[in-house]
Amino acid sequence: MTYVVGENCINCKYGDCVEVCPVDCFYEGENFIVINPDECIDCDLCRPVCPANAIFSEDNLPEEQEAFIDLNEELAQEWPNITTSPASLADAKNWDRVGDKLKLLIR
Amino acid sequence: MTTTDTYQPSAKSQAFLDSVDNAKYDRQVVTGLKKFIQGKVPEDMKGFYSEAEIAELVALKNTTRDVESRMPVKMTRHYFELAKNSQPIQVLVKASPKETFDLDGASDPGKQMDYSPIEGLIHKYELGLIYVASTCSAHCRFCYREELIAKKDVARPDGTIAPKGLAQIPELVNYIKQHNTEVAEGGGRHPITGREKLREILMSGGDPMVLGNKNIAAWFSALAETGIESIRIGTKELAFFPDRFDESFFDMLDKFHATYPETKLRFMVHFNHPDEFLQKDANGNYIDHPDGGLTWVPSTQRAIHALGSRNWLNIDNQAPLIKGINNDPDALRIMQRELKRNRVENHYFFCGRDIVGHKAFNLPIEDAWNILNESQKGLSGVEAHARLSITHYKGKTEVVAVTNDPMPGVAGSENGVVIMKLLRGAADAPLRGKVAIMGRNPEAIWFSGYDDRVIYDEAGLFAPAVDHSDLKLAEVS
Repeated sequence: MTYVVGENCINCKYGDCVEVCPVDCFYEGENFIVINPDECIDCDLCRPVCPANAIFSEDNLPEEQEAFIDLNEELAQEWPNITTSPASLADAKNWDRVGDKLKLLIR
Repeated sequence: MTTTDTYQPSAKSQAFLDSVDNAKYDRQVVTGLKKFIQGKVPEDMKGFYSEAEIAELVALKNTTRDVESRMPVKMTRHYFELAKNSQPIQVLVKASPKETFDLDGASDPGKQMDYSPIEGLIHKYELGLIYVASTCSAHCRFCYREELIAKKDVARPDGTIAPKGLAQIPELVNYIKQHNTEVAEGGGRHPITGREKLREILMSGGDPMVLGNKNIAAWFSALAETGIESIRIGTKELAFFPDRFDESFFDMLDKFHATYPETKLRFMVHFNHPDEFLQKDANGNYIDHPDGGLTWVPSTQRAIHALGSRNWLNIDNQAPLIKGINNDPDALRIMQRELKRNRVENHYFFCGRDIVGHKAFNLPIEDAWNILNESQKGLSGVEAHARLSITHYKGKTEVVAVTNDPMPGVAGSENGVVIMKLLRGAADAPLRGKVAIMGRNPEAIWFSGYDDRVIYDEAGLFAPAVDHSDLKLAEVS
């Protein structure tokens, strides 16, 4: 299984998750962070620390966000690995809980 | 007392840490039953749970008997390959409804929270245990840390209720330094607990080997800097995913040893059954190696040789005796012999603890002793070091002997006796070596089975002050 970063991360990208990951399986995009499903060990440390509640275990991913499973896998292959929290986005808070952010994803 | 919120590695530590690289691993972990239920596992895994087995497990979903809530289900590809040809391995890793037939058990076995001064640390002896991960590559169904792995709520002595958390480097470093300073100032004994210097730390959890090399190295060097004399690493990864022990890992290990030669490493490994590392032929028999001994599974062989070739570290095996897995003297004899041949000391075998669901796994204590004793007949002295241990709240206790004949003049000994010996007292080492002698109870799977037939108890294992009535029906969250 794996954990999956869902839609609410987009444009928030708080990065608290990266700090707690024991296996450094996060990969950074411009306005989104993803988990490499092959490296994730299901330790459940990232899910509770995300201020945007954007991380789910694969089994608990809301149905409407199913596309994020493949998205995490795909983007983890393309993006650079990060091991420390990235610089925060200026208006992260304004994007929290804004719906329909997938189209704003910068690949 | 000074505390620091952040931990700053020394220059020496930092130089070591900068030299460590992580690698990527292909464990192919299958987590949970959902994929089996939906038939979404790799083709060759589809028959692992039969339709009948799946139906039984599904029927328990959303009830207090849900098997996954008690203990998460997890397996690696490597372990699945071994399981295909081994009934004992299947019993170890396959979820079964029997696990929740009887939910009797302690929610915090051994009352570990009484010995937890900071989160993630159990400080019971001159060795401290830290949780550095709350998961493993695969999960043993009989895991006695299921309350950590399943993140169950545990009551602490101060009344709070929360899942057990992991240790953090800054907090732990401060605790060790503080404790050992107080011991030094107390002339070698802690003024309050009477314990000696904290000399050794056991990295546990979960399995430390699920962490990356950098993470493990950070722990190693932080502990070394506090003056800890040796670090134990408790891991079952040699059975679940031996390829974790790759060049990058040994590179880190060697660099650590070069940087901190006086901080000794001891790998406490966990093999339950020789099927976890021995090859089998088409008839299911082990294969003689042309040069002697038996033939190992290649990846496990590589890993154990690489580990064993480093003569500055130690490797010890410890395993519980579990019904259906290794209650088999012949298998145990082969395992002890082959491990010793490959630089692995046989340290302990354990009687199962009183975890939630323990009745599904635990052997009667007297059976466990007889099985181990039988397995050691035919082993040489150096092969037969392992003792049978059962962990009491007060400390590690050896089950020394089980006799069958009455002892004239000794009331209660009509069917023979069981002799137990306290190996380590929790806070007071002076109790080491003290014995307890009880009348036989072939059905006893825990100390409580002997409460009504104690003949002699200088160890205080059955003293009224230690209340065994806390075995309660545990709630499965």
